[in-house]
Amino acid sequence: MKKVIMGNHAVSWGVRLSRAEVIAAYPITPQTQVVEELSEMCASGALNARFIKVEGEHSAMAACVGAASAGARTFTATSAQGLALMHEMLHWAGNARLPIVMADINRAMAPGWTVWTDQNDSLSQRDTGWLQFYCESNQEVLDTTVQAFKIAEIVDLPVMIVLDAFYLSHTYEPVDIPEQAEVDAFLPKRVARYKLDVNDPHSFGALAPPPVYMEMRLRQQEAMEQALKVVDEVDEEWGRRFGRRYGAVESYRTEGAELVLVVSSTITSTARYVVDQLREKGEKVGLVKARLFRPFPTEAMRRALAGVPHVAVLDRNISPGHCGIFAEEIRAALYDLADGRRPKIHGYIIGLGGRDVKPENIIDCIDRTRETAKSGKPMPREDVWVGVQP
Amino acid sequence: MPEDRDIAHGVPPIAVSSTSTLANRTGSWKYIRPIYQDMVAPCNAACPVGIDIEGYMNLLREGKVAEARDLLLRENPMPAVTGRVCDHPCQTHCNRAFFDDAVAIHAVERMLGDLEPEVRVPIPPRTRKEKVAVVGSGPAGLACAYPLARLGYAVTVFESDPEPGGALRYGIPEYRLPRNVLVREIERIRAQGVVIQCGVQVGKGTPWKQLQSYDAMFIATGARVSRPLALAGGEVADVRPGLDFLREVEGGERRTIGRRVVVVGGTDTAVDCARTALRLGAEPVVVCQGTRADLTANAEAVEEAIREGVRFEFKVWPVGVQTARHTEQEPPLEAIRTMYAEREERERLTGVECVRMTPGEADASGARRALPVQGTNFVIPADLMLTALGEEPDLAFLPPEVTRKDYTVIADEFGRNHPGVFAGGDITGQPRTVAHSLGSGKRAAIGIDRYLRERAGEKIADGDPAALRFGGTGNFSITRWRDDDPIRRQSPVNEVVPFEKLNMAHFASVPGKTDRHRSFEERRSSFAEANLGLTTNEALAEARRCFNCGVCNMCELCLIFCPDVAIKRHPSGHAFSLSYKYCKGCGVCVEECPRGAMTMTREGL
Amino acid sequence: MSQVVIKDKIPREELMASGHVACPGCGGTLAMRLVLKGLGPKTIVTLPACCWTIISGPFPQSALSVPLLHTAFETTAATASGVRAALDMQGDKDTTVLAWAGDGGTFDIGLQALSGAAERNEDILYVCYDNEAYMNTGIQRSSATPWGAWTTTTPVGTPKSHPKKDLIAILAAHRVPYAATATVAHPVDLVEKVQKAKATRGTKFIHVLAPCPPGWKTSDEETIELARMAVRSRVFPLYEVENGQRWRLTGDHPGDPVEPYIRKQGRFRHLTPDQIRVIQADVDQRWELLMRRVEYGA
Repeated sequence: MKKVIMGNHAVSWGVRLSRAEVIAAYPITPQTQVVEELSEMCASGALNARFIKVEGEHSAMAACVGAASAGARTFTATSAQGLALMHEMLHWAGNARLPIVMADINRAMAPGWTVWTDQNDSLSQRDTGWLQFYCESNQEVLDTTVQAFKIAEIVDLPVMIVLDAFYLSHTYEPVDIPEQAEVDAFLPKRVARYKLDVNDPHSFGALAPPPVYMEMRLRQQEAMEQALKVVDEVDEEWGRRFGRRYGAVESYRTEGAELVLVVSSTITSTARYVVDQLREKGEKVGLVKARLFRPFPTEAMRRALAGVPHVAVLDRNISPGHCGIFAEEIRAALYDLADGRRPKIHGYIIGLGGRDVKPENIIDCIDRTRETAKSGKPMPREDVWVGVQP
Repeated sequence: MPEDRDIAHGVPPIAVSSTSTLANRTGSWKYIRPIYQDMVAPCNAACPVGIDIEGYMNLLREGKVAEARDLLLRENPMPAVTGRVCDHPCQTHCNRAFFDDAVAIHAVERMLGDLEPEVRVPIPPRTRKEKVAVVGSGPAGLACAYPLARLGYAVTVFESDPEPGGALRYGIPEYRLPRNVLVREIERIRAQGVVIQCGVQVGKGTPWKQLQSYDAMFIATGARVSRPLALAGGEVADVRPGLDFLREVEGGERRTIGRRVVVVGGTDTAVDCARTALRLGAEPVVVCQGTRADLTANAEAVEEAIREGVRFEFKVWPVGVQTARHTEQEPPLEAIRTMYAEREERERLTGVECVRMTPGEADASGARRALPVQGTNFVIPADLMLTALGEEPDLAFLPPEVTRKDYTVIADEFGRNHPGVFAGGDITGQPRTVAHSLGSGKRAAIGIDRYLRERAGEKIADGDPAALRFGGTGNFSITRWRDDDPIRRQSPVNEVVPFEKLNMAHFASVPGKTDRHRSFEERRSSFAEANLGLTTNEALAEARRCFNCGVCNMCELCLIFCPDVAIKRHPSGHAFSLSYKYCKGCGVCVEECPRGAMTMTREGL
Repeated sequence: MSQVVIKDKIPREELMASGHVACPGCGGTLAMRLVLKGLGPKTIVTLPACCWTIISGPFPQSALSVPLLHTAFETTAATASGVRAALDMQGDKDTTVLAWAGDGGTFDIGLQALSGAAERNEDILYVCYDNEAYMNTGIQRSSATPWGAWTTTTPVGTPKSHPKKDLIAILAAHRVPYAATATVAHPVDLVEKVQKAKATRGTKFIHVLAPCPPGWKTSDEETIELARMAVRSRVFPLYEVENGQRWRLTGDHPGDPVEPYIRKQGRFRHLTPDQIRVIQADVDQRWELLMRRVEYGA
């Protein structure tokens, strides 16, 4: 069934099809349509779930922790300030290995007050033990939402689905909504490995002194490594069942490319257009879409970029005092490539606070990259800010 | 439960529990530890009989009425008697008096004593070959005979009177101790196999040597000689010892005694005489040397007497009698036969001349002897004057080898001063109460048992006799002597638990019950029992008021308040087990124990 | 009954094990033990940072034989809401979700989550064991610390200058179906309230005074006596509130002077007689207010 729906409703549909049992959420622009639609679905009976209308995002995640610990399939959604408020509980969910799924509508952090997109909210949660998927389209949002529950419940790790404020959250696109029965076949009811059970009582999360804490973190890390495989397997199964695949990393027209753009989220669509235009002119420019940020798909990224002379990473985020976060991660991932196979990484900061990223901005990044490459001079600074006033 | 496959690097993926905290021996933290340590309730220690009062109260609280009675009957053969006539020092010492009202122990004891035996108790087997003679069937004699019979001895009691009971029968009027009650108590003793031979006057009609076939002898012939009162005016038949008067009334004589009766003295006998006279229709006046506070008589009895209509003249003393040869102005009481056949032919009493008394200077001992006030003489009209200044024993008939001093026999509990011969009751120098007599009889029984066992070659530990006494100073306990306490005690110490060691927070104030009494109108014309005691239910309620001072009654507060779950009920249900492996020594249990049955000790002791 | 017999009213089942690592004489531990007795084995506990985080034992131990979910300091009620929702989805209406937190986690950092849960009338039982300061972190003041008390953050020179928060009134203002106070010195009252709460649907709140020997600077064995004195002196009255409207006393409050209660505690040692009179006046005033609530309703 095809429907023209906004990105936020694609999230809601994904949750509905996944038969989430407990939802705890607090409204925040630009996430509100996610919870509004879920409320409607719960009210109509289309989704049989307990929706806890909590009094804040911290409690939202806490309630998710409680519900997931008791064995329920659990979902929440938030944005920016809300996500930051959740921070403590994101760690809790991560360390407790709870398969909670969350949608984060990327929104820049205040102040000054802003509701428009950038990735600093979600990337700030990099080390909380969550998987992060950055989505390009409403279809991908829905598909990733359903995949997320399956992945989460296999590896016992929480998953964050990230989509741009307004560019995706409020943008209507045609979306193929799978049949419930087919989704049910893909995603059976959750069977919790550990849960609060009065017939088998245990405590969860007690004091873990130095002799055991580190081993538990190691097991979390191993689960993250396992997740890299599981993401691919689940994506492959999804592809078999529904005909759509995304991959952790997607290469687009990178054959023989002298310059490859690395992008994420909705910038990808604009970049595809630019790459298509340049390829028309015979220019050897390609694109790599970074979809999975955590666990970081190092091998996939190496496969996609090894041997490419110049890579331009467009970051809609900034780690103040350092550089764009994707660029930083990619530099680290490619560092061990052999000389001659290791690309030169050009980092660009772009589109912060919802500033539009137009084709000419992307072309600007390409031009600057080529200029630097030709001059042979080192770049004036690692984070080149594009589209800003001089 | 994390399965094996979930373990890697030695841990499950999350901090999930797989054991309890029982591996932590938190008991090692403590430097002091609580122990269950039963102490002695003050009532037990105060009881001259040596009864485990607290013990039977506790059994009653548990609804074990038969067991309670049995525990009581171990130590006291006649609870129906003591429940009526004892001064109950137990109640005077009851810790509950500091909180609301003392427990009405006497009424509970009386209730238990009055219970019909459910089954006829079989006569205890004669397990001992020795025979014991008891001279005197008063409370001391019977209290000696009873446990000895229960211990397996053949016991014969010799009584000079036609009926057994001694002072209980001939000294205590029926309205205080109904004769059917006394008879039943004596039957209870006979049921143990005790043989009572009445009308046998040992030392007079029957020589002492006839008792030589007995292996031991207990002498308790009581104090039956009234102290005389010397008066100006000489011997008058109408001036008589009060005790004789009581004996005659007991003997069934209901003779005219004249309307005006003067009783001299502040003793129990004085009050008994006055109240008996009242019931015969007279208007008795009791004259006492001191004030009301100086009376030796039971204060409750005095109060009852006054309320019944007995008049007391305090700080007054008789100095002479007035007589006349013929007086018929005061006709004899109607419906009563003439008391003395020779009445018309002799000098008759018409009045007692008295003088007011005042306390004199304190002497060396601090006592202030009463002195007459000159010129205050007055006459109380009287038809009969009864003297009740106390009684002394008649020791003239005793075998010469028995040590005596003044009026009393010097007796040793273990009979060490004259082997095989023991004495007790009023002929020994102890307070002359029924309870003390019962207590002395029991002490002698224990002494006789010990003597005979030693003589038979049994090795008997030379323990401290104080260990047999409740609280070290109370009376001997048969249970302690036999070491067969049916009540499980934990590390008991023979110390009385003071009120301060109890925790009153766990008790609600409930006023004590007071005895029911017959109306004064009824009492004035009847020898029916004046004090009706409590109903069974009231007495049981009184038992539930008992604090059970010093003795664990499994109230479980220690268990409930233990933050370390270190206290559990013993599977027997009769004790707690305290796990020192986990007890941290906080002391909450000891602090909260309502009855001082726990204490803290240093760790390692 | 002249002797208060309580053993028959306290369930015998033990759901808390020995070997927990609470301090000797810990009121909060006894509170847990009694509350679990009232609730029985079909109970799931959510537990934030508090003394009990430690008391229950380190991994892999648990002092409780009911499920226990450790959670973040401010989230007790929210986490409990989540557990409840999951149980509801599983069709489990019998299991009680017990949100168990100290005074810091309730009066202070967890108040928002508690308010949220109470407003939503989540079907949970929230029990605050109140030892009147942040004891697990070493005796720092909380908004449950009484006026005049020493703590490490309200030193003797500047003892706490604000009164204790009236938490029951806050809960009553949410019109929760049941709110009550209790102490470890009144186990029957406590267990009966827990059982009443268990039988009530919606948010229940019980505020348990739990004396803390190290924090109050009192002798270990006085824990029960102190809680009793707090009630007798009306410092901590025993009462319950239904639907925020019907206020009812549940214990005896003879109104003993506060001074002996205060003087028993080292944390008040610096107080002058005048300052104790201030406390007495406050207690009297709060009592009058409570009496008005009892008489006239909320």
